[in-house]
Amino acid sequence: MISKELEKAGLPVALISAMFPVAQQVRANRIVKGVSIPHPCGDPNLSKELDARLRREIIQTALRSLETEVTGPTVFSPPVAMGG
Amino acid sequence: MIKAVHIVNQFFAGLGGEEKADLPAGIIEGSAGAARALEPKLGADAKIVCTIYVGDNYFHEHKDEAVKAILDAVRGAAPQVLVAGPAFNSGRYGMTCVEVCNAVANELAIPCVTAMHDENPGVDAYREFANAHIYCLPTAESTAGMTDAMNRMAGLAIRLAAGKEIGPAAKEGYMSRGIRRIERTEKRGAARAVEMLLKKINHEPFASELPMELWDDAAPAPALVRVNERNLAVVTTSGVVPWGNPDKFKTYRNTYWRKYNIAELKGLEPGKWEAIHGGYNVAYMNQNPHYGVPLDALRALEADGAIGAGKLYPAYYVIPGNQGSPTVMRRMGQEIAADLKNDGVEGVLFVAT
Repeated sequence: MISKELEKAGLPVALISAMFPVAQQVRANRIVKGVSIPHPCGDPNLSKELDARLRREIIQTALRSLETEVTGPTVFSPPVAMGG
Repeated sequence: MIKAVHIVNQFFAGLGGEEKADLPAGIIEGSAGAARALEPKLGADAKIVCTIYVGDNYFHEHKDEAVKAILDAVRGAAPQVLVAGPAFNSGRYGMTCVEVCNAVANELAIPCVTAMHDENPGVDAYREFANAHIYCLPTAESTAGMTDAMNRMAGLAIRLAAGKEIGPAAKEGYMSRGIRRIERTEKRGAARAVEMLLKKINHEPFASELPMELWDDAAPAPALVRVNERNLAVVTTSGVVPWGNPDKFKTYRNTYWRKYNIAELKGLEPGKWEAIHGGYNVAYMNQNPHYGVPLDALRALEADGAIGAGKLYPAYYVIPGNQGSPTVMRRMGQEIAADLKNDGVEGVLFVAT
């Protein structure tokens, strides 16, 4: 809801969310797959180092999404395997 | 005998038009102005003990005084129900009606009925308050709908005064406040769901028990060219705030946002930040606030040049997103958008939980 108002104002938004089906349903445009609801940017089950790397991948994916033209809800997946 | 109080603006009290919009709140014994049209519709067992008026400008320019004066007057009259309006499409009047109703319902626990056109800004306030003791009926845009509005306000007012149970918005015709109530039904949930599914498959009409807010489509904002040269900001609904929650966010239904400075920080240290949110388990977020505000990764990418030096906005925006009403969220989104644009931000990383 908030992100839509930002888009309406002309600001591209990379929405990092584990609930990407909901993000699609509410028609967010640039959706980046997060790990899980309580920890979208990273995974506490990983070692500290891998967790930080995963977080970096997620943000890089978000940056890439901001550089990508889209015409409607588009999901961008970080290029790593993510656990549940 | 049922006692009602009617709230009107200076015009509907018969005291004058725009030139009298600065009129302070006042009381007229019995019914006056529009209240005279309302009283007979309430029936023989009810009377309007007093008509309270307030100028359209006065109310908004002296809100605290006006609300206090009106509360005192209503307390003195001790009615079983308060009627405000109808305000049709008059914005100031509609806001007054809703704000007075909200104060009276909260402070005096008296049920309230108001009415206005669905585009009146008062309707947004009504939905934002989502007060179970206030019922707002839709009206026509102009006073052409007066008789109809009065009839329906009177009907609802009488039932409220008598303590009758009021059904859901769709059945009773008042505007939905987004309040869900527990109801007894003949059939269990699984049976109702299967019936609904069969209707859907057969292309028959059916009504969802969980209607979703209709989301207006925002056309995608154009992509950024060379994101590493753009001003970026982080916005999050995760509820991550400085330890101690200095702005007293609640775990649900927050109505304001804040931004917190990160300009000098390389990362968010656990123990200095906490997550305020009633909608998910915040233990992980408290352990490592970067799950909601990924500052460590952003700084690393800044060092690599993937984010331009000094291009990350010096603060992040937060609102704990749990159970926000769409109207409130929309308003906060607009406020944040204006603030971001004002500070030259060009793209947003939005972390949602």
